[in-house]
Amino acid sequence: MADLLPPLTAAQVDDKTKVDEKVDYSNLPSPVPYEELHREAFMSLKADNFEGLRFDFTKALNQKFSLSHSVMMGPTEVPSQSAETIKIPTAHYEFGANYFEPKLMLIGRVMTDGRLNARLKADLTDKLIVKANAQITNEPHLSHAMFNFDYMGSDYRAQLQLGNSALIGATYIQSVTNRLSLGGEVFWAGVPRKSGIGYAARYESDKMVATAQVASTGAVVMNYVQKISEKVSLATDFMFNYFSRDVTASVGYDYILRQSRVRGKIDSNGVASALVEERLSMGLNFLLSAELDHKKKDYKFGFGLTVG
Amino acid sequence: MESTISLKTKGKGKGSKGASSSDDKSKFDFVKEWSNWSLKKAKVATHYGFIPLIIIIGMNSDPKPNLFQLLSPV
Repeated sequence: MADLLPPLTAAQVDDKTKVDEKVDYSNLPSPVPYEELHREAFMSLKADNFEGLRFDFTKALNQKFSLSHSVMMGPTEVPSQSAETIKIPTAHYEFGANYFEPKLMLIGRVMTDGRLNARLKADLTDKLIVKANAQITNEPHLSHAMFNFDYMGSDYRAQLQLGNSALIGATYIQSVTNRLSLGGEVFWAGVPRKSGIGYAARYESDKMVATAQVASTGAVVMNYVQKISEKVSLATDFMFNYFSRDVTASVGYDYILRQSRVRGKIDSNGVASALVEERLSMGLNFLLSAELDHKKKDYKFGFGLTVG
Repeated sequence: MESTISLKTKGKGKGSKGASSSDDKSKFDFVKEWSNWSLKKAKVATHYGFIPLIIIIGMNSDPKPNLFQLLSPV
């Protein structure tokens, strides 16, 4: 604890000099997009832990176009009625093609069982961006698609979402001061007939980010991220649902070191997890993932290699 | 007896209603069926054509890569 005190006092001195600057309300910065509100917290707390073997090979044909080949082998969870989780060992190969241009981004991934995952992002004008995301399967009625239209104003962002089975949503976020942004969302789903409204707030400074989000579906999410140094950040999260009375609190860390990145978290559900990405050489990354769920007695370990 | 009479009249009522609004219903149904058909065709087109579309756009971008680079595993 004593070690933490000197950096905090240095941060306070920096903040004081910055607060003395006058806030220019006509020239506020653009806020983060509504769906990236919890971005910093989710980087430490929602790292993609996996189970089994993962091998990704990305081959760049030129600056804009690349192909990717992925192999994943391991147990995948199958949803089951009983309390036990049923895992079925599967192996699949996924082929992908990516095209990145400043104004157009296309990503497509197709698996051996015929499932296609397609994403598109196009800048129609300086301020209007259209994004589309689709998962298409061979089985009928299991495909989804979602289209988003984002408009970026000088200090606000508005988004309209249209989804597959009659899903319409809209979000709006506005910068209120240099550091505080407030936003809201509204959605209407046709199947099941449900509509909801939510509000969110985000306060950030150089060293910390605090966000809170409330929705009429009963979900309340609050998180706080403190950047201790260039290499270390700590995050904590509190999620609760006031209808189902489900509460989860988690604490996590993110160490970005020269050759590796270590992220881990521990949860109030008795889940401890960690993900290590180690850079073995240029373009070659080694991944180790572990997730221990002590409550359900489910232990998952994974390793992988990413090339390119 | 009364119940059968009432059922019959109900049936007649529905029939006449159906006849008058069938024009409006058929227009709406026509639009719905046409949009369903076009969405189904769009889904099949995207399923088969999205990745070839990305490959075609990528192979025509500069600097133009050649076919060997596309197919070789290295």
